[in-house]
Amino acid sequence: MKKSIALLLLSTILLAGCAGGTDEGGGGEGGGSGAVKLKIRFHVDSSSAEGIAYKKVVDKFNVDYASENIKVTTAFVARSAGDSQYEAQLSTDMQEGTLPDIFTFDAPNCAAYAQTGYLYDFTNDLTAAEKDKFITLNSYNGKIYGIPIQESSAGFYYNKNLFAQAGIDVSGITVDNPWTFSEFKTACAKLANIGVTPVDMRMDATKDETATYLLYPFIYAAGGSFVDSTGLVAQGYFNSDASKRGYQFLLDLVKANYTNYGIGSTDFFTGQVGMYLSSGWTIPDLDNKYKTTFPDRNSWGLLPYPKDQIAASANGSWSFGIGNNSRKDKEPVLKLLKYLTNAQSSEAITNATGMIPANKEVNKNYEPNSPEDVLLQQLSKTGINRPATVGYPQFSNVFKAVISDLRNIDNAGLSSFIDNKALQLQNELDKIK
Amino acid sequence: MVLALLLILLVLLAIFAANFVRDLIYRYKHQKSTKKYHKQEVITALLLLLPAVILGFLFVLLPIFFSLGYAFTDFDLLKPNDINFVGFDNFKTLFTELFNKGDIFYALRNTALFVVMVVPLQIGIALLLALFCNNKRRGTTIFKVCFFAPVAISLSVTAFLWLTLLSPNPAGIMNSILGSFGIPPQDFLGNKDTVMLWMVLISAWQGCGYQMLIFLSALGNIRKDLYEAARVDGANVFQRFFTVTVPGLRPTLLYIIITVFIGACRVMIQPMLLTGYVDRSMTLSYYMYTQGFTYRHVGYSCAVALILTIVIGTITLLQRKFLGEKK
Amino acid sequence: MTSIKEQLRNEPNYIPVKKSKKKIIGSIIYYIVGITLSLLFIFPLLYMVSASTKTPEADAFSAGTIMMFLPDFSNITHIFDNYAVIFGEYGVWKYALNSFAYAAIVIVFNIIVNGLAGYVLAKFDFPGKGFFNFIILFLIVVPVETSIIPLYSIAKQILGLKGNLSVLAVVLPSIISVFNIFLFTQFFSSIPKEYEEAMHIDGASRLRVFFDLILPTSKPIVATTAVFTFIGVWNDYIWPSMVLPNAGDDSWPLLPIQAALNSIRSIENITNGEIMASLVVTSIPIFVLYAAAQKYIVKGFGTAGLKM
Repeated sequence: MKKSIALLLLSTILLAGCAGGTDEGGGGEGGGSGAVKLKIRFHVDSSSAEGIAYKKVVDKFNVDYASENIKVTTAFVARSAGDSQYEAQLSTDMQEGTLPDIFTFDAPNCAAYAQTGYLYDFTNDLTAAEKDKFITLNSYNGKIYGIPIQESSAGFYYNKNLFAQAGIDVSGITVDNPWTFSEFKTACAKLANIGVTPVDMRMDATKDETATYLLYPFIYAAGGSFVDSTGLVAQGYFNSDASKRGYQFLLDLVKANYTNYGIGSTDFFTGQVGMYLSSGWTIPDLDNKYKTTFPDRNSWGLLPYPKDQIAASANGSWSFGIGNNSRKDKEPVLKLLKYLTNAQSSEAITNATGMIPANKEVNKNYEPNSPEDVLLQQLSKTGINRPATVGYPQFSNVFKAVISDLRNIDNAGLSSFIDNKALQLQNELDKIK
Repeated sequence: MVLALLLILLVLLAIFAANFVRDLIYRYKHQKSTKKYHKQEVITALLLLLPAVILGFLFVLLPIFFSLGYAFTDFDLLKPNDINFVGFDNFKTLFTELFNKGDIFYALRNTALFVVMVVPLQIGIALLLALFCNNKRRGTTIFKVCFFAPVAISLSVTAFLWLTLLSPNPAGIMNSILGSFGIPPQDFLGNKDTVMLWMVLISAWQGCGYQMLIFLSALGNIRKDLYEAARVDGANVFQRFFTVTVPGLRPTLLYIIITVFIGACRVMIQPMLLTGYVDRSMTLSYYMYTQGFTYRHVGYSCAVALILTIVIGTITLLQRKFLGEKK
Repeated sequence: MTSIKEQLRNEPNYIPVKKSKKKIIGSIIYYIVGITLSLLFIFPLLYMVSASTKTPEADAFSAGTIMMFLPDFSNITHIFDNYAVIFGEYGVWKYALNSFAYAAIVIVFNIIVNGLAGYVLAKFDFPGKGFFNFIILFLIVVPVETSIIPLYSIAKQILGLKGNLSVLAVVLPSIISVFNIFLFTQFFSSIPKEYEEAMHIDGASRLRVFFDLILPTSKPIVATTAVFTFIGVWNDYIWPSMVLPNAGDDSWPLLPIQAALNSIRSIENITNGEIMASLVVTSIPIFVLYAAAQKYIVKGFGTAGLKM
């Protein structure tokens, strides 16, 4: 028996070196008949409104480009088990050299995918005018690797009835003239006075990416940051004095009980909470689903992020990237990419998702200061990216741990707590080869 | 990759052949006329084992061998074509992190706490439920189905419900109940002193239906005349429990302890869904998953898995040795 | 001395003419405790069922109150709306059929393959047996969390299970179950050798002995492994959604139900009621099967004593 164990382990060690394997699978090159076959992979379920919209756009491309003999096949891989499943698949594709010609990726992963060679650098394939069409582009080290499918931002949805009851006037607050951290706290205090929970900061949304996406702008607004420009140094950035002021603001809200960790996910929709920090996805919900509290748009509105040292708001959505596969001639792929992101496609997709088109040529005619307009203005004026680092998942996890643990921290302990977390993040970043 | 497969196959075949020959020699040396191998039987045995052996090799052993192999490499999920042998670097990192009180320290501490609490609790609850159902009253079948229900219900639903029940809001359900006894509102899952306790309670609740079934079957196997005899001897309910039931459950108990222990060492979904990746509740499996998938350090994650396997395996063998039936 | 009355009581069909007061009170307490305990264990089920009948608004207003666990009776005519969406818009029935097909294939082969292995390990005498027994115990102990990445490479690269062959990548790894081999070995060991020898002398082949004697006399363990294999296959979603190509075209989808639902649940703006409806749908087969096989399962674990 003991011999068996020893042999099992020994063989393992001996084999370790060759366990990797370097198979070269079939490339993504089209058939020899002259037809170019492109593959595209989306990250959503095929029966969702978004998936159906993608399918339609691709079908239309196939019709329009039939004369050029380009044929695109679609695949949908919903990221249901988080990024890991999507990434495990990408990894195997990489190993076999069968990356899709175009695949979608979440903006903060751009750095990791670009650095490891998954994404094709198409900086020189776009003209200046083409680049200018988009509100943002996904870049890493100055090179362009992706075009956003659509844009997403977030803000504070507020219950107009409760605001009126509390005597809060927000009519002057716009993206160009946002409120400050202290005005935000004053509003919270007034809401607390009428006996409602002032704001749902989504402090408990730390089980997925939500808390990071919604709360990172506060650190930037306070003048702080997370990592240096290489993306691999957190010490001195994550825990700089300015960053700590940002965390202090969040801590103040928790300590004053303006927000808490026990707010139910639907409490805002039932009128128990004054403000709700959320992304653009909430607009259709408010429009359609909660008629008792929010019969129409006179009953709710959207406020921009408050500013401190600077104004900062959340951005970043999923993007199209070109897979760095064995196909040498990227011309047809670029045609497809440009088609997917042109005004017509962009409009079709955002009509299905209710989000903001990434392409500036799409004129949605939002009413001034309507929720959509606030989000759009934030994107172009105050939007700030999540840190571009290969270690983005590590950053996100540590950030969420900070948010989750603020409830157990007092004012005196905040500084050492953040230092500690910065060290933790640094240790994780150091593990990246 | 195919090369590695063939090598592993060869090594395994060699180990098997060695064992095969050893057994043959052993039998030959301690030869007793009744205990000879029959050639026909040996061939049939190996043939009938073949499907299981092939599938087991491909889908159980091989992945484990590969992941053990990865433990000595710098395999990054995003760099599958750039895997280098790094010797014991991953293990060095692991132990350095452990002694510097990094994430893995908390993961280890929480897992140990969890295991120590959940094993007796879950087995105890399961036994009580089994005793509760082990009679001929009408309706016990329904009770058995109910107690088993959490085993079959999706973890994401139960996690969501427990989050609602345990809301730190003073108006939350559990806090309202405690409030009626004059207990101030608690942040059950946010407080580092209580979070693991709740993980334990929730896991025991979720899993005990399975052990209840096994206990029920063991209870059903205890001979009824033993109870009668004890009754005749004037033993009361508790005396009967300790003199008849407990000895009758003993063989099953070891199996239950080992399986619950192994399951407890692997706890991951509960902290993942209830708190996220935070110091106060991360566990070793969750750490392993995060390092391997989220942070993409497959090599490092496999090293953690290897250490975890050795620890679990050692403790399991010790349990077998000390709790098992004396032969 | 046992009286006639006590002897009668030990009869299975004995109905006492008159219960004593003490016994009735005992029964009442028993059922009160039983029902309370049951509620403690099935409250998620109650929630799933009641939430599946609600609109988002009704769901929001019931959150955190006892109404969470009660259906929305004010909405009686629309109680199945969420189910209609799940089955109509998302075509869940197709995935359910897939899951039944996968489960059926896996269960049959699982019982044959692992049953044969258990039979050999329980009844055969051959050199190397200790080695196999060791491997099986060893594998029960090894954590498998990290092996999903190499498993993927094995299925896709070494075995080349791509395209429609991906179905095999779902089925094959589920057929082998070390744990089931362990269970079968334990159970088969308890079958008296005489039965088998009687048949063997008749000249029946060992394979026939397995199918005609061993399996039929082992209904409890077959039922047990079948039910737990079913639960395993039915609930698995990470692996199938990794290896199966997602139907982008109009062809029949290959995904099993949990993988499909997991994908559907990731849709933004899907309502909680729809999610719960989907969970109720996926839970029903498990409960039906479990309740039906419950009697056997209890025996299946019992007979052998599960010696480790």
